[in-house]
Amino acid sequence: MTISSSVKKPPLAATAQPVAAAAATSAIVKNSASANIIALSSTALALPGIALADAPPTQSTVSYKLSNYQEDDLSRSEVPSGELNRYDIDVHQFQLVAPMGRNMSVHVDANYESLSGASPWFTTLGLDGKPVVNLSGASGISDNRSELSVGTRYYLDNGSFAGNIGYSEENDYRAVYFGLNGERHYNNDLTTLAGGFSYSSDDIFPTDAALFNRVRDEDKQSSSVFVSLTQIINQVSSFQSALSFTEQSGFLSDPYKLRDVRPEDKTQIAWSNSYRRFFVAANAALHVNYRFYHDDFGISSHTSDVSWHQNLGRQFQIVPQLRYYSQSAADFFTNVDDFLNPLSEYQSSDYRLSAFGAVSGGFSLIADMGSWKATLTAERYLANDKYSAYAVSQPSTALVKYNRLSLGVDFSF
Amino acid sequence: MGSFCEIQLFAESRIDAKKILSQLTEEVARLEKKYSRFRSDSFLTEINRSAGLKRGIDIDNETQSLLDHAKNCYETSEGLFDVTAAALSQIWDFKNAQIPTQAQIDAAQTTLGFHKISWADSRLRLPPDMQIDFGGIVKEYAADSVARLARNLGVNHGLVNLGGDFSVIGAQPDNRPWSTGIIAPDSEQGIMAKIDLLQGGLASSGDYERFFVHEGKRYSHILNPITGWPCAGLRAVSVAANLCTVAGSVATMAMLKDESVAKQWLLDSGLPHVYMDSRETVGGTGMNATS
Repeated sequence: MTISSSVKKPPLAATAQPVAAAAATSAIVKNSASANIIALSSTALALPGIALADAPPTQSTVSYKLSNYQEDDLSRSEVPSGELNRYDIDVHQFQLVAPMGRNMSVHVDANYESLSGASPWFTTLGLDGKPVVNLSGASGISDNRSELSVGTRYYLDNGSFAGNIGYSEENDYRAVYFGLNGERHYNNDLTTLAGGFSYSSDDIFPTDAALFNRVRDEDKQSSSVFVSLTQIINQVSSFQSALSFTEQSGFLSDPYKLRDVRPEDKTQIAWSNSYRRFFVAANAALHVNYRFYHDDFGISSHTSDVSWHQNLGRQFQIVPQLRYYSQSAADFFTNVDDFLNPLSEYQSSDYRLSAFGAVSGGFSLIADMGSWKATLTAERYLANDKYSAYAVSQPSTALVKYNRLSLGVDFSF
Repeated sequence: MGSFCEIQLFAESRIDAKKILSQLTEEVARLEKKYSRFRSDSFLTEINRSAGLKRGIDIDNETQSLLDHAKNCYETSEGLFDVTAAALSQIWDFKNAQIPTQAQIDAAQTTLGFHKISWADSRLRLPPDMQIDFGGIVKEYAADSVARLARNLGVNHGLVNLGGDFSVIGAQPDNRPWSTGIIAPDSEQGIMAKIDLLQGGLASSGDYERFFVHEGKRYSHILNPITGWPCAGLRAVSVAANLCTVAGSVATMAMLKDESVAKQWLLDSGLPHVYMDSRETVGGTGMNATS
């Protein structure tokens, strides 16, 4: 006599891992008419050897990522004279994450950026009455940024807490920062509450300050707090909502623009939401994110993005992604610099303070070979005042279009 | 753990596998050393020695969680699955096929009852003469814990078998489910049924391990704490669930219930299961019986 019975259920793929924590309970909920079994699962899942609480890494991982960010050149109709080349930035990122004892991990991050090109210097009216932009420097700017940060995370039975400190330096900029954060799991790890605080103290000392009558040495401070709630809804879906609040004070203007006067205080608030759902039949996960932002410069923005994480076998994944962004203008934005304005009046022609919309699309290819993992990402970004969801009274001439390409390699040992 | 244990795993290299295996066996050994009722140096023995102490004993988070689960089992089974029923098995002598007197049973029963113990945070108070036995929970928990540890150590395919309690780590490397055979109570060799596992665990409970026959009547080692007498329900049951720990608790409860009640209860649970009843008929859900 042969009797067989099966509990077939496809294993959840890597993309759905945050959701997999719920798999065990809801498999029961789905299959079972008996509330007793659900009750039994709740205490069994809380046992420390089973509970899917955070666990420190058991292996060390070294990662390297090279990214290139290239802004499109402006056209002669937008820039009547001088440089057309905008920023070209290469970024090298190194990271080491290693376990330390049973309950701790440490990480060291080092970044190196080299930047060349030119940025908008001032705006005026062109011969046809439309605003035109002038880019800085006859031969553009060349700068390097180096950053080092170290951090540690301590893991508890039902959560973890972490701290980090860092230092970043450029020719004309220096920042020292630290952060503290923690998270705790509730409700058999189906609910996670996290919160944190970070602080940064920055010094700005522009190059050629005397030559161009720029500020010599200024500083700014930023403090930020956040709180987030993550809820695993069922076997295949989860939701996260986060609120952050940032206060900046000090020199918040752009010292390289001919006329840029901004308030010395800025309060920012951001509300981010993300929903993830794994589709068993497709072996893929859908990620949908939405973020609302507002600051007291007068800028409000909405960001929505959607990505599809398609597993291809056990080792490959392709992730197409689409994003839409739109913001309103800062109260003091002008698309033509007014040099007759008294210096006490706020004004800026920085395109990042104008009302505009942006669309971007891209994809990632991920190959996971066990101890090796490689990620290739390509993105195209287009900002345009015509894409704006907000009314645009003064379109900026200097909105960016860029390509971003990155290749990352992780090795675990 | 006093029974046959086997861990199968697939790793990238033999050295990796050996390293992982040694960590996994260490975890089994840790839990055995901590919760064995038969070791004089186990923490469980220390807990049992504290019975009657007014100040109680400090217990760690893991033991608290096990007690939480035991309480859940006690309440779910309406008192049938009771980890404090150890005193009963001491008066039922299966080796010498002795039936205790009703007076002995009555006396033993005064020392059991999960509702009599209390623990607040990290302090447990055990009434005098009361003993705890995590049988039916700890071996299953160890199987789940080892499987979880293996997953954390990067193992994607493996099977943990601690004396017939199984916990799987993913499917087999070729994506086939693990096929676990269930031995029939009366035969050392005969396979009563097969249950395929792709995830979770499988646990069995039955009277084939220890029982005796007295004046033609079969006395199972599974004792009903409410009557103090051996159960006369199912002969054996195997259950598959999201966790081996859950499967083990369900299987133990099914053995403690009356036969007809147990069959319906297993059916209502929605979990894949196989049982052999007192007439030695094999039944369960999702089976393709070919005799």
